[in-house]
Amino acid sequence: MKYQPLADISPYLPQWAEISRIQKLTESERLFEMHLADGEPLGHKPGQFIELSLLGIGEAPISISSPPGVENSFELAVRKVGNLTSAMHRLKVGDRVGIRGPFGTHFPVDETQGKDILFVAGGIGLVPLRSFIKFVLEHRRDYGEVTILFGARNPSEQLFLDELEDWRRRDDLRYLESVDRPDPNWTGHVGVITTLFPYIHVDPSKTYCVVVGPPVMYRFVIVEAKAKGIPDTHIFLSLERRMKCGLGKCGHCQINHLYVCQDGPVFRYSDIFDLEEAL
Amino acid sequence: MEKAKVAFFDFASCEGDQLQVINLEEDLLKVVEAVEIVSFREAMKGHSDDYDIAFVEGSVTRRSDEARLKEIRKNAKVLVALGACATLGGVNLLKNFQEAENVRKFVYGDKAFQYETYPARPLKAVVPVDIDIHGCPINRHEFVMVFKSLLLGKKPEIPNYPVCVECKMAESICVFEMGMTCLGPVTRAGCGACCVTEGSYCWGCRGLVDNPNADSQREVLAKYGLGLRDILNKFRLYSGFSEVAQ
Amino acid sequence: MALQIIEKSDLAFFVQNLMDHFQLEGVQSKGQSVYGQAFFYGTIRSPAELCLDFDCTVMPPKKYFLPPQEALFRFQTGPSPACFECRPNKPLVIFGIHPYDLKAISQMDRVFAAGTPDPHYLARREATILIGIDPTHVAPRSFWASMEAAVVSSGFDLMMTDLGANYIVETGSEKGKALLGDYAKVRPATSDEVRQRVSQRSHIADMGQKRGLTFPKREIPILLQHSLTSPLWEENATKCLSCGTCNLVCPTCYCFDVWDDMELNLTQGQRLRRWDGCLLSDFARVATGENFRGTRTSRYRHRFYRKGQYLFFGILDDVACVGCGRCAAFCLPDIADPVEVFNRLKEKLN
Repeated sequence: MKYQPLADISPYLPQWAEISRIQKLTESERLFEMHLADGEPLGHKPGQFIELSLLGIGEAPISISSPPGVENSFELAVRKVGNLTSAMHRLKVGDRVGIRGPFGTHFPVDETQGKDILFVAGGIGLVPLRSFIKFVLEHRRDYGEVTILFGARNPSEQLFLDELEDWRRRDDLRYLESVDRPDPNWTGHVGVITTLFPYIHVDPSKTYCVVVGPPVMYRFVIVEAKAKGIPDTHIFLSLERRMKCGLGKCGHCQINHLYVCQDGPVFRYSDIFDLEEAL
Repeated sequence: MEKAKVAFFDFASCEGDQLQVINLEEDLLKVVEAVEIVSFREAMKGHSDDYDIAFVEGSVTRRSDEARLKEIRKNAKVLVALGACATLGGVNLLKNFQEAENVRKFVYGDKAFQYETYPARPLKAVVPVDIDIHGCPINRHEFVMVFKSLLLGKKPEIPNYPVCVECKMAESICVFEMGMTCLGPVTRAGCGACCVTEGSYCWGCRGLVDNPNADSQREVLAKYGLGLRDILNKFRLYSGFSEVAQ
Repeated sequence: MALQIIEKSDLAFFVQNLMDHFQLEGVQSKGQSVYGQAFFYGTIRSPAELCLDFDCTVMPPKKYFLPPQEALFRFQTGPSPACFECRPNKPLVIFGIHPYDLKAISQMDRVFAAGTPDPHYLARREATILIGIDPTHVAPRSFWASMEAAVVSSGFDLMMTDLGANYIVETGSEKGKALLGDYAKVRPATSDEVRQRVSQRSHIADMGQKRGLTFPKREIPILLQHSLTSPLWEENATKCLSCGTCNLVCPTCYCFDVWDDMELNLTQGQRLRRWDGCLLSDFARVATGENFRGTRTSRYRHRFYRKGQYLFFGILDDVACVGCGRCAAFCLPDIADPVEVFNRLKEKLN
């Protein structure tokens, strides 16, 4: 098969990426491993997103779930919710998709070096956060203590089961999990994610808190993080909005004066705490 | 790949929406080519109950219609309501606001007792409907858009913004500036504001947007001289089934 | 280049010449509404169609640079998927743009060139020659004088002022200079005519003062800073029809939606963009169903903040409102008028 190369002239034109592996994560989520057709690395940093195109179906923002790797491949975990993501679930290994990006800000990979990190993931918030968690675990000696809190609505919505199992076993990090609604086989903690906070101890003088989850979760988690003494400048969030163009033009993703596609999706809490539309 | 099987059906209606499909001109050939049409009384002979997609025109006006519609629902993977009668109840619903006996006598005269009837209703009052193609008649381009979406396995993007949007894009003079009144500000777009562009006003045949500000629309209509009765009648012409018309 | 004079009797010659060499777009009367004539931009097919003494067009000239709908690229799917760029470059002359609309175009130029430039907008803009005209009439809801848009000194290729007996023309670019040289009969303006232009323009600015802000425009961002919780937003938004008219008729509104349209053969298609509006109910809704600006109040307020504050500090260093008054004129519940809103906020603050 021959593919026509895309001219690099319009920021709206995608480049091709090829799917090399598909893994079912849950009933509604799949992990796609892919690489750019030209063999170049995507060049992303943890926390950034891409605009993914299926010609004829459309384009949607998808967060990158893997850290930059040696293989030049990258992973997208996609929940089936709309037209594009449903169509993605019908794709096979070897299929090509369109990619624009990477776009947006990234998690504070440099600023947190040598510091403790408290990761807080709610539901599919783990998808973007995983890129940072994996990055930290790959460079484990560059970071201080690592704590991961993961909350899901129910056990069947837990993602990346192999990795969760790895985190449970590791002794160089602390992993706590919770579900809101347990099934009969669940033996772990039950409750919303904030109910895990009493079980952790952080040194507020050197801890960064990084939070990704559904919109309702942020306010409650921030209250807990602040109660632990973590300053606003050390709390980072990744926010979801309708990002259509990725270029700060189409207007859909604005939070007050900020464009999530350019100024976000990763924000420092102290930069947005007073924005009416942020949380 | 096996072609999707498509069937067309009608209930109480003028069959004008199916006529719009037949009127697709050169696109009709492409439509016919892309699928296998197994039933389309207005356009061809033959019938089969083996179909994937059912396009159903018309509103339900008799209790005996319900069994037939449920049968269609059972056979079809996707049921598409075609046109205002099917999506909203349409003008057939006007009779619901009148004395039933009078209506029957007016329509059927001394044969009234031979004909079964009950309050008109849209398809969705009887069976779940997957997609609404609104309009009286439907917009051919929108039909093709929905048709293509179904073949691509995607949910068609039926506008949830009002006719004003398309009216401005078409650079029409606002109906209210022409000394008339219009339901455009609360009516679902998708028609290209065709009535206004042709010098008329929006009658509301595509039904209301999801969250219409009906109170404000009433105020606007009143400001431009419409009495309460006229306002209600305007809403009832097509959207009699929705609560704004009650 | 010194100011030039085109005699009124020579205007048709100029217009005809432009028609012969370019696609000529200009203001036409499209019919009579209950308020008077309704003016629109359209293709000029005879010099008599061109109207230069309009008060305000229904739609601004933004459609020439950001069409209501345009293809970003064409594509084909199947075994050899490919994308083909669509780059517009059809040369246009637009004849008769008021200063406020010229100012709006200058603002849009900055928006689309900022950050990652938008090649579609910029290509159309590059291929277009703008001939401005100073207003002779003021539309009832216009307030361009208080938005400092009564007179512009840049952002045009030619700028004309009606002096009664003739038009006096200022050249704003090499393109404009060539246009005059190649297609118009001109003579240099006399010093008397130059003085006449000055007084005509100050007369225009006075005319434009009939309605406007009660305070200087530059205070708008600060005013908004203190007005976030004003009850005015909800009071007005209750009446908002969410019809998007204020966005669509605005010369500085440029939000767009992007979607794919496939041919019936299901292998070829195009990615399109079309105008969108932040007042429309689904503007900030994401695929999961969450609507991040789900209330009329939040959408209604957003428009004023975007115009008066976000774009001011973000890109423009100016308020993104030029005072054309179109939003005010066409909002049916009459809640969109920036002058009313800003003045009332100011009043409440004092």
